Amino acid sequence: MADVTLKGVTKQFGAHAVIKGVDLSVADGEFCVFVGPSGCGKSTLLRMIAGLEDISGGTLSIGGRDMTNVGPSERGVAMVFQSYALYPHMTVRDNIGFGLKMTGHAKADIDARVAEAARMLQLDALLERKPGQLSGGQRQRVAIGRAIVRKPEVFLFDEPLSNLDAALRVQMRIELSHLHADLKATMIYVTHDQVEAMTMADKIVVLSAGRIEQVGSPLDLYHRPDNLFVAGFIGSPKMNFIKTRTTAAGAGVTVTLPGGGTLSLPAPAGDLPKGEVTLGVRPEHLSATGEGDATLTGTVRVAEHLGSETLYFAALPDGTELSVKADGLSGLRVGDAITIGIPASACHLFDGEGKAVLNGDLRR
Amino acid sequence: MTATAARAPGFWRRNQQRLTPWLFMAPGLLMFAIYVLIPIFESIAISFYDWDGLGEKVFIGLSNYVELMDDDTFYVALKNNVLWLVLYLLAIPAGLAVALFLNQTVTGIRLYKSLFFFPFVISQVVVGLIFTWFYAPDFGLFSALLKSLTGQEIAILADERYVTYGIILAGLWPQTAYCMILYLTGLNNINPEQVEAARMDGAKGLKLLWYVILPQLAPATFIALVVTVIGSLRSFDLVSIMTSGGPYGSSQVLSYFMYEQALSEYGFRMGYGAAIAVVLFLIMMVFISVFIVRMLSQERNA
Repeated sequence: MADVTLKGVTKQFGAHAVIKGVDLSVADGEFCVFVGPSGCGKSTLLRMIAGLEDISGGTLSIGGRDMTNVGPSERGVAMVFQSYALYPHMTVRDNIGFGLKMTGHAKADIDARVAEAARMLQLDALLERKPGQLSGGQRQRVAIGRAIVRKPEVFLFDEPLSNLDAALRVQMRIELSHLHADLKATMIYVTHDQVEAMTMADKIVVLSAGRIEQVGSPLDLYHRPDNLFVAGFIGSPKMNFIKTRTTAAGAGVTVTLPGGGTLSLPAPAGDLPKGEVTLGVRPEHLSATGEGDATLTGTVRVAEHLGSETLYFAALPDGTELSVKADGLSGLRVGDAITIGIPASACHLFDGEGKAVLNGDLRR
Repeated sequence: MTATAARAPGFWRRNQQRLTPWLFMAPGLLMFAIYVLIPIFESIAISFYDWDGLGEKVFIGLSNYVELMDDDTFYVALKNNVLWLVLYLLAIPAGLAVALFLNQTVTGIRLYKSLFFFPFVISQVVVGLIFTWFYAPDFGLFSALLKSLTGQEIAILADERYVTYGIILAGLWPQTAYCMILYLTGLNNINPEQVEAARMDGAKGLKLLWYVILPQLAPATFIALVVTVIGSLRSFDLVSIMTSGGPYGSSQVLSYFMYEQALSEYGFRMGYGAAIAVVLFLIMMVFISVFIVRMLSQERNA
């Protein structure tokens, strides 16, 4: 078991910088998830930790030892690939045992460890089959088996669930969480699916354009986003942003709302930002029935009835679009007028550069 | 129900599903029968006759085969065919090596691949001519090289000891290119993540090649083996263009021997030539049967 530390890690492909200086430490036994939009460099960063991509600058250490220039098989890491990358000509048994065979383990030792891994993953009955005869979920298990049999200090997962159907994905998510609890190994997991990130992670790393935007626990990211990018990326449907201006008012600030209303918020910790600011509030914190510290009126443009909840996409008279999550029984129709209530305690404020100056953390 | 609907459907309607495949296959089957199947049986029939191609056919039973068994040239040709078969197989590992070398992404790789494939595109006759010049004493590159290394010149194509090896080497050039293309296609189908997984598993170099890459190239290897074996047995053009079987018949192969007996200025012994063709056909049948059995069993397993 080991911790993973990256210091000023960069990656260049020719003149093109893909990873622009990443400092990160993942504690021993932690489940760390890298999320970000496609092309943000999350997979590249994972492959650099695996040793499949060279590190252009900075250092990587695993378990306190410098691994920056060590080959992939000597880093004590194992990786599960998006395509599973099973060897199609080998049986499940040979697939799982291949790494041990390559590192020169005795046959009896390999058999024992393969059997143990197969038992953990319920693959016992499938050991003599070839990957082509397995379902997607079973292949996924074999890929995981191939990783755990080597007893690595760190597990790396590259979007492992993206090729599975929705139901299987939920099931595998739970199994992976169980596996993490059983093995107590450090795991680093790359995904673009924020549900996977929120449900499995101890720590989420949000990446964008080769840089870390924020590191924190799932609920920290949800309640206390550092900037507009994280605020917009975490949460579904995404947070509403309203361009506005603020004025100091006694102990707090007053925010002008579209349509002329105002909303009083507590004062930010630092200086009051000048010029245009962005007010952020999540759809699930807005009220479709007008309860709150201020109200906005608009027209329903789209109504999505999901049974358990209803999503309204409303347009305000000045053109601002807001999404509101309402009760499943809410009966508004497209074209109806809607009165949206804003609770001051759930509002976030971002300055002109997109940095958060006020977080409406509802846990307080 | 109306009368029209109640009437039994016509012959075409009833049998359409069964007849259509045969109709589609008919042109191919016809061609195959006229140009392949019937000639095979005709050749076998002619091999029992003494015939100059124009005059009266005289049935002589197995005499052609008896004569063949006593013909020294036949044994030279047979020995050379075995030599071709064995040495021609070198095209497979050579093609694999070139394919592995060319299977990378650098600028202009398509051009390099085309250049390596080039010898397969040009005619065997041209390959033969190029190598004839290459070996030519006095001005040939190979001779010059040999002279600078050993101090003496060897006229490869005029020397009974080396002539067949010299021709086979010329044949290996285009055949290697062909095997290379087969392997490049195979390598293209290997998931790069699999190679990375193998690297994570600690396999590299030859181990990676042996345990992960080669097993997945098995279909390409099989096709390469089939075309190389059959190509070696029907080697004709190079022998014809480079030596005409000489010197003193020492570079003969069965196909050229057959041509010489039946169709060249040495005589028009159709029956004797047909007998040689039948022997060559039987040798090929051994390999072709093995290949077909393997292919069928693979299809059944798939």
